[in-house]
Amino acid sequence: MGAGVAQWGLRVNPLAQSRNLADPCLFLPIPTVLERTASEETVTSSFASFIHGVRPEHLSEVVRHRSKRMILDSVGVGLVGSTTHVFNIALRYCQQLYASNAVSSVYGRKGLKLSPTLAAFTNGIAAHSMDFDDTWHPATHPSGAVLPALLAASQMLPPSSKPNGLDFLLAFNVGIEVQGRLMRFSTEAHNIPKRFHPPSVVGTMGSAAATAKLLSLNVTQCAHALAIAASLAGAPMANAATQAKPLHIGNATRLGLEAALLAARGMEASPLILDDIPGCAGFSAFYGDYRPKPLPLPASSHEFLLEKQDVAFKRFPAHLGMHWIVDAAASVRNLLINYSGSFSPSLIHAILLRIPVSKYINRPFPESEHQARHSFQFNACTALLDGEVDLNSFTDGCIHRRELTELLAKVLVEHPKDNIANFDKMYGEVALVLENGDVLTGRCDTFYGHWRKPLSRESLLKKFRSNASHVLPEDKVNSIITTVENLENLPDSSQLASSL
Amino acid sequence: MWAKTVTENFANVIHGLNASHLTDLVIQRSKRMILDTLGVGLLGTSTEVFHKVIQYSKIYRSDASSTVWGHSDFRLPPLYAAFVNGVAVHSMDFDDTWHPATHPSGAVLPALLALSEVLPQKQKFSGLDLLLAFNVGIEVQGRLMRFSNEASNVPKRFHPPAVVGTIGSAAATAKLLALDQFKCKAALAVAASYAGAPMANAATQTKPLHIGNAARHGLEAACLASLGLQGNKQILDMESGLGAFYTDYTPRFLPTLQSYSWLLDQQDVAIKRFPAHLGTHWVADAVSSLRKYLVERDDSVPISRIKRIVVKVPDVRYVNRPFPNSEHEARHSFQFAACAALLDGSISVQSFSDQNISRPELKELLSKTKLEHPADNKPSFDNLYCEVNVTLQDGKVFSERCDTFYGHWRKPLSTEDLKKKFHSNASSVLSVEATEGIIETVDNLEKVEDCFVLSAFLKGTQSTKVLSKMCLP
Repeated sequence: MGAGVAQWGLRVNPLAQSRNLADPCLFLPIPTVLERTASEETVTSSFASFIHGVRPEHLSEVVRHRSKRMILDSVGVGLVGSTTHVFNIALRYCQQLYASNAVSSVYGRKGLKLSPTLAAFTNGIAAHSMDFDDTWHPATHPSGAVLPALLAASQMLPPSSKPNGLDFLLAFNVGIEVQGRLMRFSTEAHNIPKRFHPPSVVGTMGSAAATAKLLSLNVTQCAHALAIAASLAGAPMANAATQAKPLHIGNATRLGLEAALLAARGMEASPLILDDIPGCAGFSAFYGDYRPKPLPLPASSHEFLLEKQDVAFKRFPAHLGMHWIVDAAASVRNLLINYSGSFSPSLIHAILLRIPVSKYINRPFPESEHQARHSFQFNACTALLDGEVDLNSFTDGCIHRRELTELLAKVLVEHPKDNIANFDKMYGEVALVLENGDVLTGRCDTFYGHWRKPLSRESLLKKFRSNASHVLPEDKVNSIITTVENLENLPDSSQLASSL
Repeated sequence: MWAKTVTENFANVIHGLNASHLTDLVIQRSKRMILDTLGVGLLGTSTEVFHKVIQYSKIYRSDASSTVWGHSDFRLPPLYAAFVNGVAVHSMDFDDTWHPATHPSGAVLPALLALSEVLPQKQKFSGLDLLLAFNVGIEVQGRLMRFSNEASNVPKRFHPPAVVGTIGSAAATAKLLALDQFKCKAALAVAASYAGAPMANAATQTKPLHIGNAARHGLEAACLASLGLQGNKQILDMESGLGAFYTDYTPRFLPTLQSYSWLLDQQDVAIKRFPAHLGTHWVADAVSSLRKYLVERDDSVPISRIKRIVVKVPDVRYVNRPFPNSEHEARHSFQFAACAALLDGSISVQSFSDQNISRPELKELLSKTKLEHPADNKPSFDNLYCEVNVTLQDGKVFSERCDTFYGHWRKPLSTEDLKKKFHSNASSVLSVEATEGIIETVDNLEKVEDCFVLSAFLKGTQSTKVLSKMCLP
């Protein structure tokens, strides 16, 4: 690994002892800019100061605990995602066009290494390939945009500068925190998105922030990393529910990493990227309403958003909205079984779904797995037929089942005014109108896995094991669990990456 | 064939256009654009931003490789060659500008040249193949900009090259790769997920990356599409598709292939005479005219006699900088352009050196300069004007106005001046032989059998062997 890693010429602490660097231009001091930021505090510089100044001691118990769960889940989801078709395309692309400087590991491909940004790209795609990764409120998929970049970056650094597990955990949380803060700059971010896919907007920024943290960039470089990342952010919603959607996370994590690497080499960009400057849009370009707020400078304590607002982990690989409707469908299925002794589709005249308005997850007859993962109708009917939805529900064979198509034909959709397209407020209701006129209704306000009803440790580990064992042997699976659960005690965090 | 959606229609057209569709005028104009872009790019390889991205991209050194313009000592994988060469093209804001506003060529040409060098050996690309693919990339950009009214004015939210440039690069690359309709459509869709960068990074060192990224991401999108990746089949139709980047969005179908009419036929580009935002060119021409009333015998302007300078331009925030601090800011400053032109008579590449930016005489003039935004001065490159008023201490006022600067599409550069610009740019890094070689190759591009010769010249190989391989009749 030596030759490839040394070529990067990066080090963790620029104030440390002198070292023979491959790239002496890496950490150029820019005194005039530093002077300016000291006297005029802007939203952008407050972010840079936070990223630069926050310390492991700022992490609370709850935040550590939750973020480690997120890391574990994200790794598992990435491992199972490495069995998908989209992942395969991305991998072939990277292998065809790039050969050397392979230092970073790829999920589920023991022995294969790619250059760091490409490893981040493919791993990010893996993480989102099945829509199985975590979801936060306001809505985005935070971990997949951050973790792959950090894993890749941890393997880039020379052996003497490897960040330890605590550094890694801190950098991860910086990436999550920045995403959460940015989303609170606009009210439209609270609802299910319509224009830009949030991971491609805030995820890129989060990846840049996390990488900047791991690489110990100075304050000015942290600011530039964010600004360069903004020029790499933003993908339209229309590609959600298509095979290209996973690229949104893949690119968020890779391009954020690139932004930080460019900033480390002295690339400069707008120092006001997060501020609201009328007539010349910065990060505000991605939103209709935009009111940025400075991040509190970390003194002795900083309250991370993750403290007050946990993520949701998915129990099956589909859009988060599906989880409400599936729990509602499962409960009404039980009602029907109690009512008539068994589940007989022929008893059903119509299936009413009461769901919020959201065009890209309203698909009466999905044709591909990607569409199926984004279809209230499909997930409701699958849950009615099978009692649950899992990985296999989205195979071609299952998608095109005759019994399923027959059920889909009976579905009607309603949008009650009180069912708001917001992951904190929505509910799912499934009403079966029987041939004899009776109506059975199942409702779900909070599905199991939602932040109000989080997965137990057992359930989370069950999901991880089920995912990881698709590509790793049992002992490896167990060792990853142990590593992540004790992350802050790990002396060399690149071990996590190399265990994949 | 009947297309049900705009997106499908685009894919059909990209796939169906062939060399016979190119008109003489289109060929002529696009060759001028190609030449200008190459020169500007070669000059740009001497910039600091280019140096930084080179250092970064060297990380990706490998076997499959393409030419880095002006560098014969190493090569880069095609994606990164496209990236760095694209950055070079836009590094000094010296590249072409179209109406509606974008910088069309820099997003397309680097991608095509990089890709042409790594495709399988048995497949060679003629100059005509290159010309066609290039024009597909330009055309798609122009068509997309006409889907929204806000695109007609100088942008405020997203930097247009990052939006339409990425799609244009994908379309051009898809054409060169001869992808079928379905894959052309996929290339467009995947590219949309890479598009978009906010205006705030204009006038910073990162702005050139908007073009570099447009080139490389479009190329990547087309490569992914050729490997089978799919996106939204109606990406151009939907408000949540490309419409996400605009507040008003009305997609339209392209003309029928039976008699295709290219936008470049009806609307030429502007070629810059000095490396700064297009708006500053009106200012420079107005000031140059006015200057003759003020000069002393030694061709200097007596600064102390000047009381006030008023520059009347449209309200374009990101070019309104009273005291620019860096070359990037200076290139985006109406005020700087006025004062530099007043001091020196004209603006050139050298006007933006650190030394020249921080001259005390310049700063003195800047402190006397004010902008005004008349209501009738619209922020559109087709309509704007510049009026400069200089008031002397003794009360005399001199005024000049420029409606159309030399280099604008209404007053295009002569062939001679275009070549002169190329010469001046290219000779900063290439030999005379290579410089001449490129001029001749591009001049006869549609007859060139294998466009590898262009890349060979670009990297700085000087050999008569290359000249003879041009296979001209």
